[in-house]
Amino acid sequence: MNHLQEKSPPVREIRLKAGVAHLGTPETLERDLRKGCLNQASRSFSQTSGCQFTLSLALLNTFLRAVVILHGPLGCGTCSIANIGAMKSFKRLREPGVEGLIYINTNLSESEVIGGGEGKLASAILYADEEYRPEIILVAIGCVPSLIGDDVDAVAQKLKNVISATIVPIHCAGFKSKVMATAYDDVYHGVLTKLVREKRYPDKVIYDEAQEQRRIIVNNRTVNVLNVTSMSRSDELELQRLINSLDLDVRFVVCYGSSNSLSDTLDSALNVSICGTHDDYFLEHLAEIYKIPFILDTMPIGPRNIARWLFAIADFFGKHKAAERIIEEEEAMLEEAVAPLREGFRGKKAFLAGGELRVIVTAELLSYLGLKILGVKGHHYDKFALPALEQLEESDKLVFEVATQQPFEHVNLAKKLLPDVFVGHSGGNNLTSKLGLPIFPLFSNAAGYMGYAGAFEVARRLTRILSNASFNKNLAKHCKLPFRSSWYEKDPYAYIKSDGLPIEKNNVACTHEPKVLSCQMKPKRAI
Amino acid sequence: MSLRQANSYKEGSFIDRPRHTCALGGALFTLRALSRVIPIIHASPGCGYNVYTAFNAGAGYLGGGYCGGAAWPSSNVVENEIVFGGEDRLKEQILSTLELMDGDLYVVVSGCMVEMIGDDLLTVVASIKDSPAPLLAVPTPSFKGNSYDGYDIILEGLFEGLTRRQTRKEKGLLNILGIVPGQDVFYRGNLSELKRLLEALGFKVNSFFGDGEDISSIRRAARAEATILLSDVAGQKAASFLEDARGVPTLKLPFPIGAQETENFLKGVAKALGLRDSKVQKLLSFENRRYYEYLERAADIYNDIDLQRYTVIVADSNYAPSVSNFVSEELGFVPVLTVVTDPLTEEKQKEVLLRFHSSGDLPRPLVRFGTQTSDSARFLREAWAPVSNHRYSFTLSPGLVIGSVYERELAEDYSLPLVTLSFPATNRVVFQEARAGYLGGLTLASEIFTTLVSGR
Repeated sequence: MNHLQEKSPPVREIRLKAGVAHLGTPETLERDLRKGCLNQASRSFSQTSGCQFTLSLALLNTFLRAVVILHGPLGCGTCSIANIGAMKSFKRLREPGVEGLIYINTNLSESEVIGGGEGKLASAILYADEEYRPEIILVAIGCVPSLIGDDVDAVAQKLKNVISATIVPIHCAGFKSKVMATAYDDVYHGVLTKLVREKRYPDKVIYDEAQEQRRIIVNNRTVNVLNVTSMSRSDELELQRLINSLDLDVRFVVCYGSSNSLSDTLDSALNVSICGTHDDYFLEHLAEIYKIPFILDTMPIGPRNIARWLFAIADFFGKHKAAERIIEEEEAMLEEAVAPLREGFRGKKAFLAGGELRVIVTAELLSYLGLKILGVKGHHYDKFALPALEQLEESDKLVFEVATQQPFEHVNLAKKLLPDVFVGHSGGNNLTSKLGLPIFPLFSNAAGYMGYAGAFEVARRLTRILSNASFNKNLAKHCKLPFRSSWYEKDPYAYIKSDGLPIEKNNVACTHEPKVLSCQMKPKRAI
Repeated sequence: MSLRQANSYKEGSFIDRPRHTCALGGALFTLRALSRVIPIIHASPGCGYNVYTAFNAGAGYLGGGYCGGAAWPSSNVVENEIVFGGEDRLKEQILSTLELMDGDLYVVVSGCMVEMIGDDLLTVVASIKDSPAPLLAVPTPSFKGNSYDGYDIILEGLFEGLTRRQTRKEKGLLNILGIVPGQDVFYRGNLSELKRLLEALGFKVNSFFGDGEDISSIRRAARAEATILLSDVAGQKAASFLEDARGVPTLKLPFPIGAQETENFLKGVAKALGLRDSKVQKLLSFENRRYYEYLERAADIYNDIDLQRYTVIVADSNYAPSVSNFVSEELGFVPVLTVVTDPLTEEKQKEVLLRFHSSGDLPRPLVRFGTQTSDSARFLREAWAPVSNHRYSFTLSPGLVIGSVYERELAEDYSLPLVTLSFPATNRVVFQEARAGYLGGLTLASEIFTTLVSGR
């Protein structure tokens, strides 16, 4: 894969045949994914769901010593308001004293829609540089400038020698893709083209061979772990602890990266993903261009997936035995800690909704804790969910739904499946709460979920959350859901259609001949 | 002149950390504040979710309410529709929304992309004959303006679609405009408080978004005797529509906080509508007595430990003058700098300047207009240049910042406590509390004093 000569990455509907509408079982899902049917399915009723522009901001807002420019009309990216306080604290957990979140909107109005917004963008970049002296200026390009054809790369090129910051254009217009996760590719594209670079070691008069050897030794034992915005600092520390226990050093990239830390990206022996949905674009390019091997497999949540994840790293360095010992010890300690909590989870049924990989690994964790999994709903679906799916017992019996948000579907499903706890991604939870269920947040960037410490943390929080759902129960009694009662009598997939035709009955009636046979179903491991 | 100065006053420049969302955002949160109204967004997939996220957090966790916010019906048009037109998709979405969602009114609003490709919302809506409840379309593309404009556009659309000119007005019925849901973090408490006071004078009030109201208040708007407009910026167009097309005159008054301004407000309304003076006096004496019985509680601590503060205020054009007047004239504070954050034309700036009381010899703040979040720090260096030598310095202490969460850095730089009141206010969860009127003034005073004694 090499798209770096292009202005922006291809959207995931095309690159990965990813789909955002499906309801069935893993079997039907896999079938449709292979045939390429999945990404043609859509809905005749849909709900607002986020876009690649807003999701890009989730990553861009983490960069240190950076200013984010929101190139679009005034509203674009005002969602960052929700992160003003939290992002400052999270940044400071990585680097004390670093600045908070600074973003500038180019405020395109009707006159720019006609005359172009490049001038306003240039003045915003100059202002950012003069006012804040950032190291990086990230320009998130919204729908309007994309449609009117603003040449942001040309503006960046023109200002390159006038200002000190590195300007990174991010092509993430929301209307380009229904698969929100295309945002990750957009951000990585910018990072790869502008911030990751081979270091030039200046010719020294006296060449210090020992120092050079030391550098090589350290690099050969350094692992880049690609962090995600939905993880906390305590998740990072837990993964660091586990990798350190294999006598390896860890660097977290790309979130909370700075100009300096990102330029170190290439000084590593291995790149490790913790979320396949997130990272393939970045990893494949680093492998192709800089020959750095990578592991793109499962997410280290829940004992089975933690072990699988850790073994993959250990095996690369020939440390299988060491990993075995560590995993055995960790699992025993975790088991001892959660054993007394299992009583509280016995017979409890869960439904999970959110990112494709995350819901599956979390389902495995809950199942380890003793809960019964009724079903999962992924934002979208592609091949990256498969490794985790292998770890989930009886996955063929689950209800599988694919929907980016669309809480109207999961509210309907939940009414039919009657879970005892709903594990939800932020966004649809206010509607779900009116079912009177306890809701466990699928992720939080302030709490632990990953590794063994995270598994115990989830068990601990779940115990507390299950112990009292009065808040939501009272809401259910007094606050109505906005759907007509007839909706609950219908099938939850009633509004999914394939190629403009409503779906008849029984899961997805996909009749297409296989079109996309290149779609690989095995996780890729370039070791 | 440096670039940054060149830009800071100019209307329509880029904005460093905007304090508004777009027209679509303002429209959606105005609809969010109306009971059982279902918006249908014709836009790209992220537009609705984006402004929901901004308003939910920025407006003290207002939440998505009945419709869910993050779950608003939305056509989610992508490249295909942008190339071939999105009207078919919109029609499909409207029909499925009517079938699925239960509301008293359905309003189609639009984002930038569909307006740029020329989708005609009105034609699509006209083609739908059998809606279970009224169905309207109001184009609200983001590039048309900020959330104030969205509030005006959508209200004008609702008044146009749901009211007719009434020759006979309903005696004592008043509309209130100019308090923008969400953009005013305390909008509902403020409306309820003003409504309470006006009702105590015998008026009936359409505040549209207040306790117990629903869309029938919109329907009755054209029957009102007058519209009270409480802003120099928002609500002007909607009020003008009611005046010009529906014959409801506009009565523009300052947004009142505390006993003195609220007294002026009530007298202003009474005078304009020909109310008996004795009726007003009776209410004022009750309210003033209660107000001071509460404020009196702080007499001890205020004077025992000296709670008077230098005050820096950063707020929109409704709050900035009222809070400045309030802290100066009622709390006896010393306002140093007040920054008005709305983007305003020079003409509008002059109007807003008139809202700052200037008679008497009370301390008055330096008033500056700045839409860039970085402006306040620069203005403060201008407002407060301490006289100092190598030993003594006349510092800005003890002090207080009243603003939004954007002012955290400013407050930290000067080691001053921060009371948030303007948008965005992500550090508080707001329910029924007000900042306007008598009760709002008391709550504001209580919060300010609470902040000052919070370490004790």
